Amino acid sequence: MDTLTLALATTFAPFAAFAVALLFLAGQPRAAQAVVLTGGAVSLVGALALLAAGPVEPLRFLWFASGAVELRFGFWLDGLSLMFGTAVALVTLCVMVYSVGYMGADPGRTRYFALLGLFEWSMLSFVYAVDLLQSFIFWELVGLSSFFLIGFWYERPAARDAATKAFVMTRIGDVGLFIGLLMILHVAGGFDLPALLDPQSGMVRTAAPLLLTIISLLIFAGIAGKSAQLPLHTWLPDAMEGPTPVSALLHSATMVAAGVFLMARLHPLFMAADYAPAVILAVSALTALVAATMAMVESDIKRVLAYSSISQLGFMLMGLAAGSLFAGVFHLVTHALFKSLLFLCSGLFIHHCGTNDMEGIGRGGGRRLRFATVGLAAGGAALAGVPPLSGFFSKEEIFASLGQGAGGVVATAAYSAAFAAALLTAYYTFRMIFLVTRPARIEEAGGHEHHEGRAEPWIMAAPVALLTLGSVIAGFWGREIAAGLGVASAPHGLAAMAPALAVVALGVLWAWLDFGRAGAPRTGSIRRVPALQTLFARQWYVDALYRAVLVRLTLLAARILHAFEVKGLDLNFERFGFGILGAGTGSTRLQTGWVQFYGGWAVVLVGLAAAWLGIR
Amino acid sequence: MSLEGYLVVGLALFCLGLYAVIAQRNLIAVLIGVELMMNAASLNIMAFNRFSVTDPSTGQVFVLIIIGLAAAEVAIFLSIILNLYRLRRAIDVEQLTGLKG
Repeated sequence: MDTLTLALATTFAPFAAFAVALLFLAGQPRAAQAVVLTGGAVSLVGALALLAAGPVEPLRFLWFASGAVELRFGFWLDGLSLMFGTAVALVTLCVMVYSVGYMGADPGRTRYFALLGLFEWSMLSFVYAVDLLQSFIFWELVGLSSFFLIGFWYERPAARDAATKAFVMTRIGDVGLFIGLLMILHVAGGFDLPALLDPQSGMVRTAAPLLLTIISLLIFAGIAGKSAQLPLHTWLPDAMEGPTPVSALLHSATMVAAGVFLMARLHPLFMAADYAPAVILAVSALTALVAATMAMVESDIKRVLAYSSISQLGFMLMGLAAGSLFAGVFHLVTHALFKSLLFLCSGLFIHHCGTNDMEGIGRGGGRRLRFATVGLAAGGAALAGVPPLSGFFSKEEIFASLGQGAGGVVATAAYSAAFAAALLTAYYTFRMIFLVTRPARIEEAGGHEHHEGRAEPWIMAAPVALLTLGSVIAGFWGREIAAGLGVASAPHGLAAMAPALAVVALGVLWAWLDFGRAGAPRTGSIRRVPALQTLFARQWYVDALYRAVLVRLTLLAARILHAFEVKGLDLNFERFGFGILGAGTGSTRLQTGWVQFYGGWAVVLVGLAAAWLGIR
Repeated sequence: MSLEGYLVVGLALFCLGLYAVIAQRNLIAVLIGVELMMNAASLNIMAFNRFSVTDPSTGQVFVLIIIGLAAAEVAIFLSIILNLYRLRRAIDVEQLTGLKG
């Protein structure tokens, strides 16, 4: 099979599964599951085969030409897209398999699995896209499918609101992205990615740095929306209203990862811009730190993971903005593995204990779930950056890139913020682990005993086990990933790793003192500063501010427009309608049905006409 | 007698017929009014024929056709009135307003 066929099969298999499931299998959820799982498996095999075959020249075919602008869609199978495409396909397949168990007998299963297919198709096509406009189309399709999946339980108002919020907030950023794309079209006259990014002839070299800065910042607005960076981050915690496997997908390899991937894709563009990296560095460092503080005080396990996603996305963007493509992509890949693992584990806990609260899961005997507990420990340790798990290597790479970056206030501040955020990451991750696995007591509720046996059916345990393995070993793929990106990577010595190690150890120790040790207070030392505790628990009041100001302003505008419509437009249309109606009713009175009435009028009118003619 | 004399008589007949058609409530009376108007027209045609046309047969053809038509028309009109009476039990035009809008 040649590369083009293989790439087409890889991307379109989930789409075919989506179409078949939705069109023909409405009443047969089992068949729909099978079809979508097959589609996912084909994609994974295809992505692996493409990865094994290695990078090829960009494949393009003409979509349409308008004047001098030619849009050629196709596949750009270079190291970056091949690696990340494989991660996407792997994580999606794991989530699909897990969903078979998780969704159980949900009546909407067909729709759910079909949407997973749509999601995977959009994401894979986005990753492999060769044309920036093609990327944009699938970028929006990714947003659309996550809208559908977050709002999957659309009967629940909270789920509907969360879906709308995610859609609208990402759209705010996309306005900037779209303007950026139009500017690129204006400057470069095309959207072909390899041509745009060519270091000799591309716009990264020919365009003025100020223009590149503006374009980069506009594109970054879209990235900030998609990857939930300040100040557009508030949709992501709410997106937890979707089914847990969807959260696993959304927060690891798809949706939020799309933003980071776009930045990695356009990395030369961002690096050629004068001030953009500094701005992005500042925003992402602030995001990483602020989101980590929110996770410190949260008690809902899924929301802790959501805040940590925001924070880790900040880390990736920091690495990219500091100039190291490798650091950002490496963390993107490892994060995709361990974050999806953590979400799948939390899904098992929630399924078993019937609560999202971490204390409740601990009390409900969450640690009896062996696969989930091991997965939580491994994924959590990887997230915290404990060596030798995957997160340690990728995060250490980000520190190194930040340290190498040119001086300046922003770089220094970001460097310290990254360390602070890493400390907090270790703290809140181990807080989560300790709360779940070391509860003060386990309530021996009789109700749990009888489904002990099927608490972890193999179909849910197998993906967890696979991702656990991935989270543990992915850190050792650093050299391969760097080679795939065409970047040299030298292993760092112990001395260079020491600060990262120290920070992690400090965070874990802090969590141990607060939550882990026997007789620990289990409340978190941040509670001693009530002002900070409230600030963090209320998510720095960003969401509250949006609600108080933006939402209220929007509602006010809507009310004014509504009044204008009702009183200004509708009323006049109504009057016009009633006028016509009245004229009709009035004229029916002329039709009396009385022949002599007509005859009399005929005589009168003919007489008048005759008289008029006579006068003339 | 002059042409005017015939025309005045014709006009009087026509107006009487028209009045009957418009003002009478009984359909038979309306029919009589229609016949009067037709006869007024015939009279006028004959008068013009006598005083101002060289070939006397022209007006006579018209009038003979009108008389034939009037006979046929009366037959149809009367049968309609009979059927109306059978259906509605009335031949008063004020009661026959089924087409009122």
